[in-house]
Amino acid sequence: MLKKTISIIGSGPSGFYTAYRLLKKSPTPIHVRLWERLPVPYGLSRYGVAPDHPEVKNCEETFEACAQEYSNDNTQNSFEFIGNVTIGGPHVKLQQLINNEDVVIFSYGCQSDRQLNIPGEMDTKGVFTSREFVNWYNGHFDYALQDKFNKFPWHQVKKVGIIGNGNVALDVTRVLISNHVNELWSRTDISTMALKHLRESQVEDIKLIGRRDFIHSKFTNKELRELWELEKYGIKGMIDEQYFDRDKFELSSMQRAMKRRIEMCDEYMKPFEERSKKNYKKVIPLDPATRHWSLDYLKTPLRINKDSEGYIKSLTLCHNVVTPENEVLPQLDQQITYELDLLITSLGYKGVPLSEFESLNIGFQRDHISNMRGRVLSRDGKIMPQLYATGWIRKGSQGVIASTMQDSFEVADLVMEDLSSNNNYGKKSIDLSIIPHTTWPQWETIDREEHRRGVKLSKPRDKFLSLEDVNHYLSQPFVNQ
Amino acid sequence: HGHLHKPKPGEELKITFVLKDGEQKTYEVAEGDTLLDIAQGNNLDMEGACGGSCACSTCHVIVDPDYYDAIPEASDEEDDMLDLAYGLTETSRLGCQVKMSKDIDGIRVALPQMTRNVSNNDFDK
Ligand SMILES: Cc1cc2nc3c(=O)[nH]c(=O)nc-3n(C[C@H](O)[C@H](O)[C@H](O)COP(=O)(O)OP(=O)(O)OC[C@H]3O[C@@H](n4cnc5c(N)ncnc54)[C@H](O)[C@@H]3O)c2cc1C
Ligand code: FES
Repeated sequence: MLKKTISIIGSGPSGFYTAYRLLKKSPTPIHVRLWERLPVPYGLSRYGVAPDHPEVKNCEETFEACAQEYSNDNTQNSFEFIGNVTIGGPHVKLQQLINNEDVVIFSYGCQSDRQLNIPGEMDTKGVFTSREFVNWYNGHFDYALQDKFNKFPWHQVKKVGIIGNGNVALDVTRVLISNHVNELWSRTDISTMALKHLRESQVEDIKLIGRRDFIHSKFTNKELRELWELEKYGIKGMIDEQYFDRDKFELSSMQRAMKRRIEMCDEYMKPFEERSKKNYKKVIPLDPATRHWSLDYLKTPLRINKDSEGYIKSLTLCHNVVTPENEVLPQLDQQITYELDLLITSLGYKGVPLSEFESLNIGFQRDHISNMRGRVLSRDGKIMPQLYATGWIRKGSQGVIASTMQDSFEVADLVMEDLSSNNNYGKKSIDLSIIPHTTWPQWETIDREEHRRGVKLSKPRDKFLSLEDVNHYLSQPFVNQ
Repeated sequence: HGHLHKPKPGEELKITFVLKDGEQKTYEVAEGDTLLDIAQGNNLDMEGACGGSCACSTCHVIVDPDYYDAIPEASDEEDDMLDLAYGLTETSRLGCQVKMSKDIDGIRVALPQMTRNVSNNDFDK
């Protein structure tokens, strides 16, 4: 059957939801190739979403069913997963894809870190970005076995600073402050090695540090509620009254989510008996609390101070003032220092261009591909037919899986619209026989093996932690039958 | 999820979905099935990305105000997810958290419009 060929770069939620929509809906016969840098699919669903949020990963069931349904040349629309191939890497250039495919969709997510750009950030032991840290505890091949984490003296960690105000900062807080609670983590797919090290720590105090005030916090109520609810394990939250005074907020002009957030914080900071709603009195807090977290606001980090061996000792910050025009003004004459044993910077994942973007004249701004509703723009702002972008690389690192899905559906619909008015056939797909790669059936055997290893540990899965281990497993004769 | 129960004869409950293009579909369903089960069982456009675990908000529906108060109140967890729902209204609920019962026999719900207007930040200069 004559089919249009569509290559999608990256198999995270945006790439997979785009593939899913196209396969389900395209009236023009298509063959979708989903390229992935790793031998395993699902991007941040597997390597970002917190291990104690397994229900968020349920989107993987949809992807799996989709792959199975369309991995078959007899269907009008067909699907192929090509793992272990980096587009722009040694085996497949972006130029080749563009020459050989009718449509190319970028959905490779955000592969780098936003930075503070302060002294000590890059060369102090015990300063990690949230992306590195999250990848480590989720068992990502590039980080799971790094000495930087596994040889770090976790037993010395008592005081932690986290810079940032989004859900990732809250995920990181939760894992650091509650890892000793067996029922929360033992039965998750967290890297067994990471959990062992995390449990050596003695975290007593975590400060979540933001540049602006409470009203500008970016996390969602679900994640914040989870933190407050840890009070039943003796883990207590706090917001200093200079940053949180219920009577000073103008509730009437606020959105529903913010009103609910204020009520939640107000109630959880009251003594248990004084709380007004039964929702906040479900479980009695464990008293006295032994671990504390606090939301800290209106600060700019200035420098990280280290000891003679290069480990973090403290963080120097200054107070900020926010003007009525919403501008942040650091007050350099008002400095303070926090003693810290660990600092995680959680400023957001940063999108970066592929190496060929410049030579191919593909536009890129700050942290995302230049685009108009998903149609890629050249560096001089013209639509580049055949190229599309979706997910985090289209908009920057913001949005949950639901909004990523919505975005992917809209872009897929646009692709179908454009395909229906294009009657050229005749492109030849790249010959895969000369490119080393992994297939969907191989991922399925990896998946089964991870489940099998997990059962022994009462975990939903125990992930492979190195590419060598994966390759070794796949090369065993009994495996791919 | 997605598995519908067959209502016992004489115990059928009715539900009407108003689709995105305005078309209305009415079904006879069993007590206890969620609106997500019913929509998916009938191939309506409702994703249910988290499989009905109250963790994604892709099953958002807008309830006819005449029936809204007859549904048991939303939990905090449902409200937290509704915060993120696209096109939230005063009578929004999550389809995976609302179960059919005699109290809401005849209920009408609309699937929210997803098409966005093109806005300024869709244009990169
Ligand atoms: C720590 C964290 C926790 C989160 N928790 C939640 C949550 O609880 N609930 C929720 O709804 N959302 C959550 N999110 C958001 C959610 O993960 C994102 O919305 C979603 O993953 C974005 O999908 P994406 O496909 O754009 O990017 P990604 O998921 O990053 O996928 C990109 C894929 O592209 C691959 N790739 C990169 N470069 C190349 C290349 N050159 N060639 C081939 N492949 C390549 C990558 O390996 C990756 O698999 C979380 C995000 C993070 C970071
Ligand atoms: S299906 Fe995910 S919240 Fe209802």
